[in-house]
Amino acid sequence: MAEIAQGGGGGHGDKKVRSKKASTRVDMTPMVDLGFLLITFFILATTLSKPSSMSVAVPDKQNDTKQQETEPLKASKVLTLFLGKDNTVWALDRLAADDDKAKTDLKKVSYGQDLRGLIFQSQAQVDREHGKDDKGLSQFVCVIKPLKSSTYKNMVDALDEMAVTKSKRYALVDALTDKEKELLGDKAN
Amino acid sequence: MPALKPKRNYPMMDMTAMCDVAFLLLTFFILTAQFKSQDAATIETPSSISAIKVPDKDLMIISIGKDGKVYFGVDNPNTRIAMLDNISQTEGVQFTDKQKKIFSLQANFGVPIRGLSQWLQVGATTPDKLKEVVQPGIPVDSTAQNELAKWIYQARRANSGLRIAIKGDNVAKFPVFKDVMSSLQAQNINKFNLITGTEAPPQGWKAD
Repeated sequence: MAEIAQGGGGGHGDKKVRSKKASTRVDMTPMVDLGFLLITFFILATTLSKPSSMSVAVPDKQNDTKQQETEPLKASKVLTLFLGKDNTVWALDRLAADDDKAKTDLKKVSYGQDLRGLIFQSQAQVDREHGKDDKGLSQFVCVIKPLKSSTYKNMVDALDEMAVTKSKRYALVDALTDKEKELLGDKAN
Repeated sequence: MPALKPKRNYPMMDMTAMCDVAFLLLTFFILTAQFKSQDAATIETPSSISAIKVPDKDLMIISIGKDGKVYFGVDNPNTRIAMLDNISQTEGVQFTDKQKKIFSLQANFGVPIRGLSQWLQVGATTPDKLKEVVQPGIPVDSTAQNELAKWIYQARRANSGLRIAIKGDNVAKFPVFKDVMSSLQAQNINKFNLITGTEAPPQGWKAD
């Protein structure tokens, strides 16, 4: 395309036409340079990957003083995760905080495979003991309690773990009960 | 046999094809370009396996910086101006047209209402200096001084279809997030999005 073919071509002996032929070549190199320069600019100036988002729904804030009648959660269906500092999780597997065994059974786990394994294990155990509910869902409940020293990343990781393990019932709770405070002691800060 | 004469003309490569490719790519990048917006603070978000994309428009973003400062931003410049007008009415702070213009150009900001006029004045007089001003973050802590709640309320008055996204930094502490969440909950906003990076789900995992 760059070389524009000269029409006719002329006879062999014609020197004039031959010299014209060579001069019609256009050097594309600077144009290519310019093209790549602009590409570089656009690559650097744009955001290529769009971030994704997780949607979070929290229960209504209850302003009325009237206590709602709800069935208390059975401790044997609940895995409580306390998100502590330095990326540690304190897990209480199917035990209430005021249980005698709670002190000894409070497990320290780290994020990633460790936590995921624990959730799967607890989930399987609850399913074995309680079976599915009348809607065919697992009765396993996970309560996530981020402590003061935990970071935003910790919370997102924990919520993400819920998505990975397909735990449909989970709650994000920020208040600790007195029993839990006592159990966690100085870890709660 | 005569000795080979050295070629006079330089070897010429045909650049046409390369030129075509370069401009094709250029066209692609121009068309798909979404320019990076100038943010008040750099925020490194955690990643999640979630595949829901952040909506393109009608978005309100509350950012939490790594030092716990809170920034607020709305995507549409017109909404920004309407929101500022609302704030100026309710809080009794006056802004000049020039200041409003500057405000509409900011992707997000972290300045208390009291210092807003002064901050925008810097932008009106010396636009280059605006970026260097240290922003203290929007107060969220106590209920009386909760300016974030005011901004959220006024932004929603300006555009009722706004969706709410929270963008937190990896190392931001949880209590700050809790404060932001309670400002939202106080206005009966119970559903919002957390902006995260994308990460691959574990092997064999399927969405349902």
